[in-house]
Amino acid sequence: MNRVLVVDDEPQIRRALRTSLEAHGYEVQTVGTGEEAVVGAAEVAPELMLLDLGLPDLDGTEVIRRVRGFTELPIIVLSVRDGQHDKVAALDAGADDYVTKPFAMEELLARARAAMRRAQPGEPVAPTMRFGRLEVDVARRLVTLDDEPLRLTPTEYQLLEAFVTNPGKLLTHQWLLRRVWGQGYGTETTYLRTYVRALRKKLGDDAQAPELIVTEPGVGYRWVAEGPEAGAGS
Amino acid sequence: MLTRDDEENEGTARITTRAVVIGLLAPTIATVVAYPIAPTRPEISIALFMLAVVIAAVAGGLWSGLIAGILASTLRPVVLSAPDLRFAFDDVEDVATGVVFLSVALVVGLLVGQASEDRARASRRERQARFLGTLSTTLHTGEVPDRVLDEFAEILMEPFALSKVEIEATLDGTDLRALARSNGDIPGGPRTTVRLLAGDVPIGTMIAERPVGGRPFSRDDQLLLEAAARQATAALDRARLDARARIAQIDAETNQLRAAMFSSVTHDLRTPLASIKAGVTSLLDAGVQHDPEQERELLTTILEETDRLNRLVGNLLDLARIRAGALTPTRQPTSMGEIVEVVLARMRPRLPDHVVSAQLPGDDLDVEVDPVQLDQVLTNLLENAGRHAPKGTEIEVAVAWVRGAVQVRVSDHGPGIPLEERDRVFEAFYRGSSIPETPGSGLGLAIAKAVIVAHGGRIWIEDAPERGCVVAFEIPVDEVVA
Repeated sequence: MNRVLVVDDEPQIRRALRTSLEAHGYEVQTVGTGEEAVVGAAEVAPELMLLDLGLPDLDGTEVIRRVRGFTELPIIVLSVRDGQHDKVAALDAGADDYVTKPFAMEELLARARAAMRRAQPGEPVAPTMRFGRLEVDVARRLVTLDDEPLRLTPTEYQLLEAFVTNPGKLLTHQWLLRRVWGQGYGTETTYLRTYVRALRKKLGDDAQAPELIVTEPGVGYRWVAEGPEAGAGS
Repeated sequence: MLTRDDEENEGTARITTRAVVIGLLAPTIATVVAYPIAPTRPEISIALFMLAVVIAAVAGGLWSGLIAGILASTLRPVVLSAPDLRFAFDDVEDVATGVVFLSVALVVGLLVGQASEDRARASRRERQARFLGTLSTTLHTGEVPDRVLDEFAEILMEPFALSKVEIEATLDGTDLRALARSNGDIPGGPRTTVRLLAGDVPIGTMIAERPVGGRPFSRDDQLLLEAAARQATAALDRARLDARARIAQIDAETNQLRAAMFSSVTHDLRTPLASIKAGVTSLLDAGVQHDPEQERELLTTILEETDRLNRLVGNLLDLARIRAGALTPTRQPTSMGEIVEVVLARMRPRLPDHVVSAQLPGDDLDVEVDPVQLDQVLTNLLENAGRHAPKGTEIEVAVAWVRGAVQVRVSDHGPGIPLEERDRVFEAFYRGSSIPETPGSGLGLAIAKAVIVAHGGRIWIEDAPERGCVVAFEIPVDEVVA
């Protein structure tokens, strides 16, 4: 049984989330403040935290920072539409994903499943991953499209690897830049965009109807292709 | 020049070369003519001398007359004492004739001088009246008070041969200031101060200055400047009233807009709420058994209406932010093409009845914009197009680089927007007159405009090549990130 800690100061939202999540077989704990959230993350040891950013006592980003001090549990941020800055700050502080209020329950559940699956320990990353026509062999750094070898530059490959090893996760500009280009980077979104564009082209992904990489304007990118594990999981 | 005639008029009362020449010439001619006839008709020769004095006084003024009178009274006896003279030389008679000649010269000279002075004054008055008339029409152009004073100062410069005009006035508690200055003149010449009066209340002063070496201000100058100043204060008053009338008109329009807004918002908020509440109470009703299909239909309605309400609230919040002046873009290097792609990916499923296509430029330059706000602008424009264009038609989004700006066009094949409504469609809560009940909130274009303006750009409606409507906007890209 998966335990979920719901942190929101609105009783109606807590009740709605509890009802829906319990109906889907989750065990739900709810709290209304940031302090309780940090304590709850330690004592309840949940497998997932749903965190509202607008809490009365602590800033949501601060909660994430404190929780990240002792656990890597997946955190999904619930935020209102306009909190673009808050979203990026929360993601950069260590949140795994965000869902915009008001949200559809099925969307939240899908994000929750993906986040918990990524956090599953002990399961090594499969050396070869298949996404439809695309196959990525991370052990041998080989990429094939329609069983034909695909030539990627080293940077393009590193970018692709960052994506396929974090399926479904929203990767911020800063995170991707540091991972692919190095620690000194973080604001050079133009580089990133150029390479994402090139990568999309080589992978045959249409940005206007993406099946592999989805753009989150002003935030980052998400690898949405259904992998073999994802297919078996749901 | 409006007042320089003063000097010439004064000249008529002074001895000038012209006056002396006329005074000497007229009696000399009379002598030449009178000489042959003097012996036979002495009375005619006297009349001729008299005529010479009168002509001199008329043509040359007082001094010509007097000179002619003196000369005539000395020449007359000479002419008459020519050979064959019948009358004896008579001192008493000569003196008497001289006195008569001089008196005539004096009377005629003074009368003529007076008349010519009157004439000069009349023409000067006429010119001044014309100047004041021009002034009043020039100043009555519906300008704002600041401009009125600036213009006034400028107008005075040349006719009064000024080097500087400085005006300070207080109107409705606002300090107004105007300064006109000629180029090249050395300031510090003669100056005069004129009070600006609104009725009897002084509202400011005007200082007029001529260049060094300029002529001092005459009483005429002073009077004319005062008259001009009265014109200026009258114009100021008109400008102020015009401004008030404009404000009153804006107030009226704002009130009208507010009324429209309340009725619109009330309607738009209540409608989805009514559907949601009806659906939920129906589902909660213990006495009714819904089959699964009915239940699903009710729930779908609730979901759709919730989305609609959410969009409306989002728009209202944006509008409130615009009104509060809080719509500050968080700019970051962004690709316009990428935003278009993201919006199209999201909007295509929501516009299943239309063919949505994109035309992106080959070179994908970055623009410093707020990606979330630009995303919303495009979303609003596409929603609009989807609402107004008939099913099955094409909606096109085109991005192009035009002279230091990125231009985006959203074209549809709907009914288009009449010319006279093309500005109004960007006003909040405005809905096209041609379609009485459209499902939009009337906020989409207003928000789009506010965002584009906040980015230093502009947005407008264009004619579609065939039928339909093109909403175009451009954002300057002087901040292109290399």
